Amino acid sequence: MKVKLKNVFVIYFLVSVIGLMYALLQLGQPCDCSQHLRSASDLMHGKDKKISQLLSEVKRLQARGKGPELEGQALPIIYAITPTYARLVQKAELVRISQTFLHVKNFHWIVVEDSPVKTQLVSELLAQSGLRFTHLHTETPKEHKRKESDPNWLKPRGVEQRNLALQWLRENRELSEEGVVYFADDDNTYSLRLFDEIRSTKRVSVWPVGLVGGLRFERPLVEKGRVVGFYTAWKPNRPFPMDMAGFAIALQLLLANREARFDLLAERGYLESSLLQSLVSIEELEPRADNCTKVLVWHTRSEKPKMKQEELLQKQGLGSDPSIEV
Amino acid sequence: MLRRRNLLTTLLIVLPWALLLTLWHQYPATRYLILLRKETDENATAKARFNGTSPLREEGLPSCSWQQASGVAPKVIQNYVYSRPPPWSDTLPTIFVITPTYTRPVQKAELTRLANTFLHVQNLHWVVVEDSPRRTNLVSNLLEKAGLNFTHLNVESPQSLKMSGPWIPSHKPRGTLQRNLGLHWLRDSFNNTQPPEGVVYFADDDNTYSLELFEEMRYTRRVSVWPVAFAGGLRYESPIVSPAGKVVGWKVVFDPNRPFAIDMAGFAVSIRLILERPQATFKLEGIKGGYQESSLLKDLVTMDGLEPKAANCTKVLVWHTRTERPMLANEGKHGFSDLRMEV
Repeated sequence: MKVKLKNVFVIYFLVSVIGLMYALLQLGQPCDCSQHLRSASDLMHGKDKKISQLLSEVKRLQARGKGPELEGQALPIIYAITPTYARLVQKAELVRISQTFLHVKNFHWIVVEDSPVKTQLVSELLAQSGLRFTHLHTETPKEHKRKESDPNWLKPRGVEQRNLALQWLRENRELSEEGVVYFADDDNTYSLRLFDEIRSTKRVSVWPVGLVGGLRFERPLVEKGRVVGFYTAWKPNRPFPMDMAGFAIALQLLLANREARFDLLAERGYLESSLLQSLVSIEELEPRADNCTKVLVWHTRSEKPKMKQEELLQKQGLGSDPSIEV
Repeated sequence: MLRRRNLLTTLLIVLPWALLLTLWHQYPATRYLILLRKETDENATAKARFNGTSPLREEGLPSCSWQQASGVAPKVIQNYVYSRPPPWSDTLPTIFVITPTYTRPVQKAELTRLANTFLHVQNLHWVVVEDSPRRTNLVSNLLEKAGLNFTHLNVESPQSLKMSGPWIPSHKPRGTLQRNLGLHWLRDSFNNTQPPEGVVYFADDDNTYSLELFEEMRYTRRVSVWPVAFAGGLRYESPIVSPAGKVVGWKVVFDPNRPFAIDMAGFAVSIRLILERPQATFKLEGIKGGYQESSLLKDLVTMDGLEPKAANCTKVLVWHTRTERPMLANEGKHGFSDLRMEV
């Protein structure tokens, strides 16, 4: 055959087509990738060391109070207001909710102690938590404080503390800043999805709360995307028969209504209503959590730990070392 | 005429190569190489998943089937909330956390907050053992959505030991069968001749764990111990550590004569030791209240083999909290709330 250009092209084309057929046939066959894996794992070892180094860097930076500004998205900030008071399980409760909050982006924790001073326990915990926080304190006046032996529902709790947090927000935030305020008690349990639902609040959003009001859950009733009533068994005639953990308020709404606050003298169960009725009506409530059909927050409570042996020891003057913080 | 022919020839040359290129791009092995070079978010997740499942893969499974899975870009969920554990590291010892659990109203809440805690710990593998004849949907869905590395097991306790009512006398051992099943799974999954670096911790679902605790226990060589708050009727129970750094006794009031007067949450055992002593399990019969931990530890270690952690047992890093049973009186005898909603 003469070396004509035409022949070269034909041969070239044939070779390419054969190569293509071969590749097509190779599809779907198990391959021997052990070499790739070995070099891959070597690469990953190196990357892992780098990752653990970087992680410890991040943790160190977080401990200094600087949150990781990873993506800089303009997400509305979630302000969680947590009133707290000194008791045995206080540190444990704060530790475990801080572990949940650490997962939430653009999160600002406002912790208000029922105390005349900022306690060392809470201060240190907040500093090491890695969260953005504000530490406030105010003492509940004696006549409204309940004694250890009183049942927990006897007097409203955390009212002064939450109001102080609202006041702080009003003094330190502008109407232009986007944010949502949520009242997060320190003994509840929060799923991570809840915070996605909170973040999209325009005025006041609501969702079911598990294990509250003597029921498996309480929830708003939703029809055609609007709240039309409430599913609850205890005092259903309240204006807003919801638990503190069942709603969130847009920051701008609170800043626009500077007088809205919790009423210290509200009747039992009417605390939430005392705030909400000056802010929103039932028709304006935004249902979340799949039209209020999913439970994303639980009203758990911790048992008071039994201190029988401790009390016995203390009577003998042999109590446990108080310098070890529990 | 000539121009058209040129065009035709150019096309004939380019076509096969174009087709080959598109095939090359889809071919899994080469996709994996691209994964190696590009360190994007999606690839990090894919790699973590690839690595996270590797210790538990059986022999003989062609590795490329896993490559196929990670070659396809994982669905990136646009969450504004972190719900992925830190990337798996080949160099850190693994922490195997065995959690017995049983169905009751607060179960989902307890497991949720535990998962939120564990999501911060690197190289953690959660072994959840249900006290149930079947694996429940509640726990299965929770584990899958959490994003953690997990193993889901179940074994039902016989009637005599079951958490039937709200209250069970504290001297009856609870979760024993479940913890033993967790140990059994570990012994089945790992070879004694090549034990992985790691530690086993028994974490009940209602306790509270600080993140520091996991780093303290990670490098356990045999059995490490530390104080536990709210155990044994005290502010905290703790081992007594001599100035030389050895455990010499127990600072407890409730039955200090126990061989290991420590709470379930107060110790961790290295995997190597678990695999070396296959007969070491929690005993069921004839165990007095408070002796369950000793029934396991006495087959594993002696007191001078214990490693004190948490700054020579002076810091409290775990709290034996208990959750109140929720008052569900308004449910009445026949239930009030919709049973289809999972709580």
